[in-house]
Amino acid sequence: MTLVHNWHLGRRMEYPYFESRPKRQFAAVFNINRCIACQTCTMACKSAWTYNKGQEHMWWNNVETKPYGGYPQSWDVKTLKLIDNGENTWYTDEKDEKLSPYGVYEGDTIFEAAAKKNLNQWAVGYIPEDKEWRSPNFGEDVAKSNKPDEHSSLPEHSRWFFYIQRLCNHCTYPGCLAACPRKAIYKRKEDGIVLIDQKRCRGYRKCVEQCPYKKPMFRGLTRVSEKCIACYPRIEGRDPITKGRPMETRCMAACVGQIRLQGFLDDNPKNPVTWLIKHDKLALPLYPQFGTEPNIYYIPPRWAPRSYLRQMFGPGVDEAIDKFMVPSRERLAVMSLFRMTQSIIFEYKIEEGPKVFETMIHGKKFEMYNDTVIGYGEDGQEIVRTTIEEPVHIRDPKHYNSI
Amino acid sequence: MIKGFSLFKLCGVTLLGSVFLSMALFAAEETAPGVKGMSEEEFTPTKEVLTVKYVQMDKPYHMDVESLKGAFKDAGAVKVTLQKQDKAFPNGGGSVSGAEVKAIHDGLTVYFQITWNDPTKNARAIAVQEFRDAVALMFPLGSVEITPAEHFSPRMGDREKPVNLWHWKADWEADLLVKGELEDVEAQYPNMHDDFNLNPYSAYYHRELITSVEVLSGGRAANNLLSQPGRGRTVEDLNAEGFGTLTTQEHQDVNGCSHYEEGAWTVIIYRSLITDDPHDVQFVPGGNSYFNMAVWNGGEQDRNGQKNISSQWHPITLERVAWQ
Repeated sequence: MTLVHNWHLGRRMEYPYFESRPKRQFAAVFNINRCIACQTCTMACKSAWTYNKGQEHMWWNNVETKPYGGYPQSWDVKTLKLIDNGENTWYTDEKDEKLSPYGVYEGDTIFEAAAKKNLNQWAVGYIPEDKEWRSPNFGEDVAKSNKPDEHSSLPEHSRWFFYIQRLCNHCTYPGCLAACPRKAIYKRKEDGIVLIDQKRCRGYRKCVEQCPYKKPMFRGLTRVSEKCIACYPRIEGRDPITKGRPMETRCMAACVGQIRLQGFLDDNPKNPVTWLIKHDKLALPLYPQFGTEPNIYYIPPRWAPRSYLRQMFGPGVDEAIDKFMVPSRERLAVMSLFRMTQSIIFEYKIEEGPKVFETMIHGKKFEMYNDTVIGYGEDGQEIVRTTIEEPVHIRDPKHYNSI
Repeated sequence: MIKGFSLFKLCGVTLLGSVFLSMALFAAEETAPGVKGMSEEEFTPTKEVLTVKYVQMDKPYHMDVESLKGAFKDAGAVKVTLQKQDKAFPNGGGSVSGAEVKAIHDGLTVYFQITWNDPTKNARAIAVQEFRDAVALMFPLGSVEITPAEHFSPRMGDREKPVNLWHWKADWEADLLVKGELEDVEAQYPNMHDDFNLNPYSAYYHRELITSVEVLSGGRAANNLLSQPGRGRTVEDLNAEGFGTLTTQEHQDVNGCSHYEEGAWTVIIYRSLITDDPHDVQFVPGGNSYFNMAVWNGGEQDRNGQKNISSQWHPITLERVAWQ
């Protein structure tokens, strides 16, 4: 084991390989508050990559209902149990902007739990059986009731559920990569995408076992495992539509609810994805306590109990929800870029516009300005331009009844 | 001058001695992440020698255990003690405590017969939670002398000390018996809906889907032997030089057959004594070699390093043919 820094946990942790970050990291921000679980992303992925024989149970992208849903069934509860040492808490009194923005996790990661339990393998895990993979959204729309006195008033509802959109997190410290005894799994230096070498894989299913998010999947037909490939031909700009520019994945581009923005985590503070994740801290990692430093980030749902959300997204939840409910001028502008283009945005610029609206939200003043947001591609060229207010077109009276 | 030389010799011996001492210390500790060092005993081959008996025989028309059984009648057996693999992550195994190995040759082909107890027959690995029964023989590549002074790892070989492995798989044998020589997903899930076979007009309506199977089956497109239909054999021919380096050979030369009865597997693995592949072990009548082995119990989720292994090399002597 070597010691590597995991900024989600705010500390160093044990991992079988040295810290080696890619030049830029494939990442995305999902706004849970807007998802309607239409599964268009799920089908976009399915029809591109997993419509084939032996992949009937495979949903590289899926949307599931929380708290009861899950694909494979109860994957998160089962993995959380494996790392539970009774003291999986966070120390949040001191934070460092770069090294520990959410505080310090004091519990065990999947790697540390395996070492403590002397499992003689790299991470804790389990293999979900075939029947657990039957549907992309088990327990669909099943709500959870909390006692009314616990959550008597908004912003938290007493009956609640929400949707969580999941694909491979292309982790910085992947559990699957650590688990593979053959080093058949690798993380690309150029974009941080994690792939299974189909020639080297021998179907041992150690990745299926030790990925805490359960995104590598075994294919009975070929006797080897497969996983989300982050639509890498599109990321590499090989789709003719974007004329050589990096293009967002199928699941991102197909999002009807406009909840998704994909890009790369890099050092540019004006990169919309980097800004939302690292600077504004509006978007949070999924189960950071697993210790893999996942790279899909979520804007948490404002109506679900905070204790549940803190377990799922870490201690940054309360701040993120406060920020989401009363968005700042810049935040509103960046969030307007969601799904405005399928070319990947590398930088944004805001041109200020007039104030159009103001109100009070939960006792806080909210002002809205009709700013213009411009997105630039990898080559610095403008690829998208939008305003905060959607343009309104008033139809001519003579066309009122015509279609 | 002579004095100086002997002084150098003395120093040299002391130096070498300390190198060996540090190596021995090093070997006892962790040598690489997740890999524990081996004991001196493991570098010593067993005393018991497996004699590959020369048998004059007619090659049976069907290479099955029943037809070959008689030929092993007079061959001496070596009992191999098996144990849990406890050196390289992931550790595992321990459910099979031993196996019996016999070997014969007819001047052209060498046959190894391995028998071991396994209460469950696991001859399919299509469902995610199912693993196959398997057995592997391992031979050092080239002409080697294995002694405690000359370390040759009995566990998957070592860097620049490669091994040749013959890996028999129960599901490969099942694959041989079905049309297309690969058990399809329907074998495991007969009622699963798919767009390929259940539609009576599938050949017409879903032609593009059907023809895309090869392209969009990663393992097949990458030419992974495990994924290929029509392999025509039950034994995979591989090389390795240490943990995690197992690699399928370009040229497959080994085959085998098996029989499962009353909680015991009998597997016969055979190959011509000599091949023209430089990555293969070569057997010369009258010559010597070594073997080691591992057994996987699919019912206990054994696969990869989770296996029942023998921790020492076993010497082999091949009997001369009658006319030698």
